[in-house]
Amino acid sequence: MDDTTKRLVQRLVKRIPAQMLRTTLDKWDRLTGEQKKSMDFTQSKWALTEKMLDLCEVNGLSVKHLTELEMIYIIDNPNKGMWYAFQLMDPQDDAHSVELMQFKEQFKSHLKELVRHVSIKIKKHTDEAVWIRIAWGDTFARPNHLKPTYVVHYLQSPYVFVTSLTLKQKPLLSQALVLSTRYQAIKDANLSGRKLTAIRDLLMRKYQQVFPTKYPSPLPENNPTISSIETFFVLLQMACEAFGGGMLPQLQSAVYKLETKFRDNSNKTMSEREEPFKCVVKFASTNLLESFRHCASSGIASTPVTPLLSCIPLKGRNYFVITDNGPGPSSQMRQPQN
Amino acid sequence: NFNTVSSIKVGVCVCVCVCVCVTSSATRTPLNNVGVQRRSKSYRLSYRSCLGTAASRLGLTPALTARRLNTSRRALKPHGVAEKVDPEQLALLVKTEWQLSYVTPLHQFRHTQLKSYSRRLAAFIAAGKQQGLAVAVENPQTTFRVSFSLVEGMTESADDAETVLIQIHARPSFAGQDEPQRPAWSGWLTCVNGNPDYLRSLPKDFTCLPLFGSSGAEGLGALVKSWFQQSFDCCFGPLEVSHTSLQWLMALWTNCHTEASIQHLKMIWTLPAVPPLEVTYTVNPEDAWELWRSVRKQKENRGGGGEEEENCIDIEEVADFVQGLKSHFYRHFRLDLSAGSLNQVSTALGSAKHSGRMKISNSRYMTTTLTLLTESALLKMPI
Repeated sequence: MDDTTKRLVQRLVKRIPAQMLRTTLDKWDRLTGEQKKSMDFTQSKWALTEKMLDLCEVNGLSVKHLTELEMIYIIDNPNKGMWYAFQLMDPQDDAHSVELMQFKEQFKSHLKELVRHVSIKIKKHTDEAVWIRIAWGDTFARPNHLKPTYVVHYLQSPYVFVTSLTLKQKPLLSQALVLSTRYQAIKDANLSGRKLTAIRDLLMRKYQQVFPTKYPSPLPENNPTISSIETFFVLLQMACEAFGGGMLPQLQSAVYKLETKFRDNSNKTMSEREEPFKCVVKFASTNLLESFRHCASSGIASTPVTPLLSCIPLKGRNYFVITDNGPGPSSQMRQPQN
Repeated sequence: NFNTVSSIKVGVCVCVCVCVCVTSSATRTPLNNVGVQRRSKSYRLSYRSCLGTAASRLGLTPALTARRLNTSRRALKPHGVAEKVDPEQLALLVKTEWQLSYVTPLHQFRHTQLKSYSRRLAAFIAAGKQQGLAVAVENPQTTFRVSFSLVEGMTESADDAETVLIQIHARPSFAGQDEPQRPAWSGWLTCVNGNPDYLRSLPKDFTCLPLFGSSGAEGLGALVKSWFQQSFDCCFGPLEVSHTSLQWLMALWTNCHTEASIQHLKMIWTLPAVPPLEVTYTVNPEDAWELWRSVRKQKENRGGGGEEEENCIDIEEVADFVQGLKSHFYRHFRLDLSAGSLNQVSTALGSAKHSGRMKISNSRYMTTTLTLLTESALLKMPI
């Protein structure tokens, strides 16, 4: 058994938690019933690795098969590592009719043209997602299976999610994607997070959206006829309109790079200053959107909710560069130069 | 559609007003010297009664104003600490994060007995291990070597006792192993610019080193504290870095920016949302400096004149500085940081956490930071 195969087995057994290893091996279906029974998942990882190495040897399994195993595990557990969202731009006329087989062939052929040695595995998952595993090599080196890139593309949508991609690899992947999907360009969607499912649900709006009802908004402050219960519901309504209702995608952070001028009536010196007041604000929470929604509904945030925050679900992004845009009072949104 | 909306949990909004003064518990009576039930040692003057002379604009009774940190203090000047303290010792103090505690005055502690203390503490730790006290070491055969050392030059005031540094090295039992470079635990006791009236009022037998820093294996730290408590009849307690102190540090560090770049002014706040929302607010150093300078200028314009005043920073300036930062934030996010709590501040000069952890990254500005913390420790002490 060659070195790469060994190291891949070691890495997989180390990475996959014992309880998941059993189910993943079942799905993999490369070991006989007997062999699976002979594995004792309560043993140490080291012992399990030895066992796997034996079984792979006996069954004549190679890197090709092991990468299948890895892919099965990653697809079932996509909420690890850091995922970045991209958006394809300017579809050509036939972009919407690209279907799976065509995409697969085109992607493989384009990427192979760009990269001398590359190993590509494409798998369609149940929910319309196409998963791609890429092991990169170059003119001199064979593909490195220990540092693969994973790409998820939802056919019929312009969205692509990527993890473990280096700066060097980015333009190559971008080109292959653009050509095989029949779009003209691809850009950074400024959305990233550890949970693929969360950023996907946010970007593709797979959560409950709440639309304005007949209640007036904003609430007139000193209206004595409106009770505190009504205020409560109005705030809740506004909070849900801004961030969504029910279960929200588990986004964990948002970053704002502020480059706006300092404006405060009580500080003349700073308000007269020409240069922007540069700072970076990062919000973090186990469920960021829920935290924001709670802030809006409980009064910690003043309503109406600032567009800076409601932009997160509205535009499906969590990285913003905010500059002054014209002589307006508060800062407005502007696309960062890409 | 309200049916779906009502299924969301919503907490009650609590508006918290941030109080600038440090308050102690209502049960303590400051001036009556509650008899200390320990071997008839009673402190002649309570610390708080000594603070009666501190700046008190409201003219309240000493007992009440005495519960505040000094409302004004000298601006941070790079003290010649770098020249006065042994560089090896200085290296041990900076760039490490310390967990802070306050310590009540030590009875019959002698700076001349440090070698003897080293032996006694080592024996105490060995005995503690035998009794099975939790000392986390990989190898149960490990013995410990303890060293107490004097750190001279940390303070300029003649009333301050000299700083003591304690290190515990783990000595593995099998031969041929080099002694590990980093100690298993280290700590120090210090007093920097402590209130001279209070220090002079202590009976001769007492040494006041109210600020204690600890880093390393917690089990060892606990044993060290036990030993001190037994040997010098003192008391340790956790020292939080209050919100006021954190804000002071923000201002004091930013004030140094022209002499030593702070590189950034970073604050970590927590807002009481469900789930809790953490806000990391990092300001560009030049912009933080400009804001601070504008606040200082406003004070000048208000008629605070004279050179004496220039070196002094008032709590109002600190408050205005922090308020400026909060209002810039509010303008964008419509979230009031006052509704939350400030947990951590950091710059290239150091960092401090509300939980009582502190790190000094640049020794030149150590003195004012330690002065602030010494003051907090003295305030926090019971009696």
